[in-house]
Amino acid sequence: MPTLPELQRDFVAAVFDADSERFPGEVRDGRFGGARLFQIYRNNVFLSLTGALAAVYPVVQCLVGAGFFDYLADNFIRAHRPDSGNLHDFGGELAEFLAGFPACADHPYLPDVARLEWAYHRVFHAAAPAFDLAALGAVPPEQYGALRFGLSPGARLIVSDYPLLAIWRANQPGAGDTTVDLGAGGERLLVFRRALEVEFKLLAPGEYALLDALRDGATLEHASERALAAAADFDLAACLQQQVALGTLTNTSTLS
Amino acid sequence: MSAVAPSGARHPGPIPACAGIGLRAPHYRELLADRPPLGWLEVHSENYFGDGPPLDYLEQLRAHYPVSLHGVGLSLGSTDPLDRRHLRNLKALIARVAPGLVSEHLSWSSVGGTYLNDLLPLPYTEEALALFIARVGEAQDFLGRELLIENPSSYLQYRHSTIPEAEFLAEIARASGCGLLLDVNNVYVSAANHGFDALRYLRTVPAAAVKEIHLAGFSVNRYADGEVLIDTHSTRVAPPVWALYRAAVQRLGRLPTLIEWDTDIPALAVLLDEMRQADAVLNEPCHADVA
Repeated sequence: MPTLPELQRDFVAAVFDADSERFPGEVRDGRFGGARLFQIYRNNVFLSLTGALAAVYPVVQCLVGAGFFDYLADNFIRAHRPDSGNLHDFGGELAEFLAGFPACADHPYLPDVARLEWAYHRVFHAAAPAFDLAALGAVPPEQYGALRFGLSPGARLIVSDYPLLAIWRANQPGAGDTTVDLGAGGERLLVFRRALEVEFKLLAPGEYALLDALRDGATLEHASERALAAAADFDLAACLQQQVALGTLTNTSTLS
Repeated sequence: MSAVAPSGARHPGPIPACAGIGLRAPHYRELLADRPPLGWLEVHSENYFGDGPPLDYLEQLRAHYPVSLHGVGLSLGSTDPLDRRHLRNLKALIARVAPGLVSEHLSWSSVGGTYLNDLLPLPYTEEALALFIARVGEAQDFLGRELLIENPSSYLQYRHSTIPEAEFLAEIARASGCGLLLDVNNVYVSAANHGFDALRYLRTVPAAAVKEIHLAGFSVNRYADGEVLIDTHSTRVAPPVWALYRAAVQRLGRLPTLIEWDTDIPALAVLLDEMRQADAVLNEPCHADVA
């Protein structure tokens, strides 16, 4: 008779290893043999995790087709078993996994699509702390350059060599024109939340460079230098004003 | 987040002894716009661990309906240490939502840090009983409130189980002081799959500990040599489950009763129709609490 820790380890091992015969031996034969009864759990685990992935990655699923997505999910689940009791934490490595998945090698844009969908998912569930304008007002202007703003947990940046936004829109339910010119060029995207909706905004090179630097912890001075290097006509004041209005920046951790 | 209802505007906490429905995302806006009469709402706790629109919708609805939290990811029956991060998230959600009831399952879903996202069966042994009682106690102490523990549906039994499930639950409630959530559909599904007597199960569950009932629909996996009932929460409550529910209410009295529907989610009107059927059973005379 196995101890409970042994039984649980055997159970999980047998879910991921269809050839494992050790575990069903501990299952009482009922109306069906133990191995068949255990198979119900194996199916349920893979069905529910595949469903969770499909809920986060509907565009990837649409692009590869439901049948291939199930095959992809099966491979992904075995490589990246969930490590949290909160299902919303599951699936973040799909972009990386797709990049190394030989069967998808002919579709090099898929990892970026997955990155965009994961960003959408995280932004949807993230807290979005308000930018503290009053705290900023208390800082003498000559010290602005040393400030470090952060990117809100409710905002993410994506850069791609492909027209991601067009791909995303063409694969939404009810989309009319589903033709996308994959050679149309890359883009820099901001994924953020306005009220209760996730939205996308195309960023100019300077805007992207600024937000990217701020996200990585640069001071406002260094971030604006990076932005000016990316775009000589970058307008720092206009960009900051717009980003604060969109709620994509935080200063609560740096000014309090 | 914006638009948090001031605490004074919150609906009073207790879950009333009538029927309610599981709150699912496709119904957020319709519920807020129409505010149909319904007893209470239950949500899966983990769906609200984030701080985005789902929590915002829940807080808006909380101003109009009592809410209970139903966890699916705490993995109380696991031999891993209790996940403190999960518990902290749950405690923060409890503080924010002020639920009338908080429940989890008699099951495990993780070991060695791997989570299977399923409510897996425990062997009903003295070893598992001691572990589960200790873990419920630890969780209740951390959360500072009572948990209800729900009987699972199951598709297999272990050779070395020695304690009938209803007695196992009774001992958990007695030793840990937790309450019980009786899922009548799960009793029906497990009884059919394992060939035990569902009515006898109902008679064994300690009536005083049961504080909530769940109802849901199941699916049937048919094979050439038989069938297995699967607890999918994807259909209406089946007629024999309504009959078992009536028997449960006659024994346990009027209790908060939830209509659960988690996959192939139907129009809100269908859920409300199921809810009214449960209310009709609750309102039949001659229950234990009227006698």
